[in-house]
Amino acid sequence: MKKSLYQQFKAEGFNFFIGVPCSGLKDFIKEAQDDRDNIYIPVPREDTAVAIAVGSYFTGKKPLVFMQNSGLGNVVNITTSLLQPYRIPIHFLISVRKKPFEHEFMYKITKKLIKVLGWYNNIFLIEAKDD
Amino acid sequence: MTRLRAIREIMSMVQKDDLVVVSTGYLCRDVYKVADRPGNFYMCGSMGNAFGIGLGLALFTKRKVLVISGDGAALMNLGSLVLSNYFKLPNLIHYIIDNGSYASTGGQITCSQVFDFSQFYNTVHIQIDKDEPPCPRIALSAEQIKKRFMREISKE
Repeated sequence: MKKSLYQQFKAEGFNFFIGVPCSGLKDFIKEAQDDRDNIYIPVPREDTAVAIAVGSYFTGKKPLVFMQNSGLGNVVNITTSLLQPYRIPIHFLISVRKKPFEHEFMYKITKKLIKVLGWYNNIFLIEAKDD
Repeated sequence: MTRLRAIREIMSMVQKDDLVVVSTGYLCRDVYKVADRPGNFYMCGSMGNAFGIGLGLALFTKRKVLVISGDGAALMNLGSLVLSNYFKLPNLIHYIIDNGSYASTGGQITCSQVFDFSQFYNTVHIQIDKDEPPCPRIALSAEQIKKRFMREISKE
């Protein structure tokens, strides 16, 4: 049987999954929530998820931050003023929404934004189904 | 109470193994000047995210974690502070140094006077009535701050 996305990340050594939900990651998040080895946290904002991930990284964890691409704007400052200058390698799983209209502009700039933020080595993108 | 006196009092309670996360602004410089130690993490940018870092530390270490924030930074990310009530961690304590202003950008007012920080778990709200001038900037690079902090944690 094919491993789920969540199991694939676990097999890569990720051991703390934290983020803000996206419908495109529903199954992934369900597994993160049900996994007894993971502390699931209902985080109110994407940058808070990154901050908690950073604290966990300092203790030796390998965190993965998940979010929808609409949340990218909320993590620009913590990327430029914490992750970048302190060289903290946090990995991201981003669900990319294309439609309806409120997602269209971010969809257009998502890859560029990621490149500008200097993230390209530690980012995983998945296309979300439009529902 | 003055800002530096508050910092001195907090730092005098810090035990050898405790971890301290300091938030953006003059507070980083104050703590660096008053009681620099490898177990201090100076979060010089990313305003509003010190408590999140402290929470991530407190969840995965048995050590006591102290977070020191200003009122402006705490107000910037109140949502993260709600998680203090969600977890009620005994090893995480948040000190909010409240001078009612964004001191490092020219002393503009914040809206802290209408907010009650005591609703958050293990949170100590310290009202400052007289502020001192800033201490000199931190003489460490971001990477130095991080490396010695992580080395300190790995001694566990």
